[in-house]
Amino acid sequence: MNDQVAGKQRHARFQALCQSLRPDLLRFAFWLSRDRALAEDVVQESMLRAWKAQDSLLNEAAAKPWLLTIVRREYARTFERKRLNTVDVDELIAKEEPTLAAAEEHDIADVRAAIMKLPDEYREPLVLQVLMGYSTAEIARELELSGPAVLTRLCRARRQLRAACGEDTALDPQE
Amino acid sequence: MMDHTRYRSAILADPRDQDAELRTHREGCPECRAYTEQLLRFDARVERALRVDMPAGAEVLPFARKSQTFVGPRRWLAIAASVLLGTAIVGGIWLTLPQRSLAAAVVAHMAGEPDAWQRTDIAVDAPALQDVLKDSNLRLKPAAGIVSYASSCAFRGHQVPHLVVQTPRGPVTVMVLVHEPLRKSMQFDEQGYRGTLVPVPGHGSLAVLMRDSGVSSAEIARIAAQVDDSIVWTH
Repeated sequence: MNDQVAGKQRHARFQALCQSLRPDLLRFAFWLSRDRALAEDVVQESMLRAWKAQDSLLNEAAAKPWLLTIVRREYARTFERKRLNTVDVDELIAKEEPTLAAAEEHDIADVRAAIMKLPDEYREPLVLQVLMGYSTAEIARELELSGPAVLTRLCRARRQLRAACGEDTALDPQE
Repeated sequence: MMDHTRYRSAILADPRDQDAELRTHREGCPECRAYTEQLLRFDARVERALRVDMPAGAEVLPFARKSQTFVGPRRWLAIAASVLLGTAIVGGIWLTLPQRSLAAAVVAHMAGEPDAWQRTDIAVDAPALQDVLKDSNLRLKPAAGIVSYASSCAFRGHQVPHLVVQTPRGPVTVMVLVHEPLRKSMQFDEQGYRGTLVPVPGHGSLAVLMRDSGVSSAEIARIAAQVDDSIVWTH
């Protein structure tokens, strides 16, 4: 009986945890895939995997990076499984217009379009740093890269974004 | 000695890098300081751009649905529902009272620090911010935005972090109230301040408010959710 109660409590706690983190996981999956429907599928599948593996989560405070890693791996698996075709970025932007245009601030629409056009290897560390608050060391660990490689990618990401958004790049260091 | 190119490469990769050598260079070089501020402003736009609206989702795990439905005599259900409703109304009023007094205390505290509400792009020094946050066992993610004011304030018998975060809609005051647990969120609109009190399980609550802003309650709630999300609890 006690086991049953404990199980229900654990279930409820995990459910609440996933619920609170879901918007961020969806955002992460969206910026990985640039496809809202695919992001929802990836996150749902990731939740199921997380549920099955919840015993490996020893500290609830570490739940977010733990789930982000699961989402990232699930996206990679989906990519392999479906053998997704190379996509036309302009088509993607057009397809995701409702998501991209949902913001109340119109001045960020151009930034969103520019982020969509960033190569995957620049977009992912930028999302982890700016949206998820990861440090360079944490990004390096997650992406299995060296610290300098992460910094190079972040530099290139910002340089490309700033140029695409018409920022004054006169002081940006050149490689 | 760090040169401009090395500084700008480092800061382009991470505009919030608080490395001591970078800070020293920035303090002595107005051009690099202006460049850093330009990057921070751009990063705030990037952060807003990345934060696309996503649904919280009513049911996260499909197998979490209840598998049993209680079927009992309708009459008893009706009586039970009436009793529950009555309890909820009385209990709701009772539970809301302390939250109202907490909101009033937060609003009253604002009157003592009018200078905190300035609109600016200048962030407080990272060590000063850390000093204010350390006793509450938290740090802020870069996505939190520019923190233009940070003070440890006496509030209802405790020292609490009082921060002002610059947002596109103007300055937002955040008070981290680790000693004030709440059962549920509550919106308030008093004396020209509109805000919300948000429970943070295991860490008390947050007060998030704006002044004379004309922003809707829904937007305040959204900003509060972003603030909550920007906090990393270290203990």
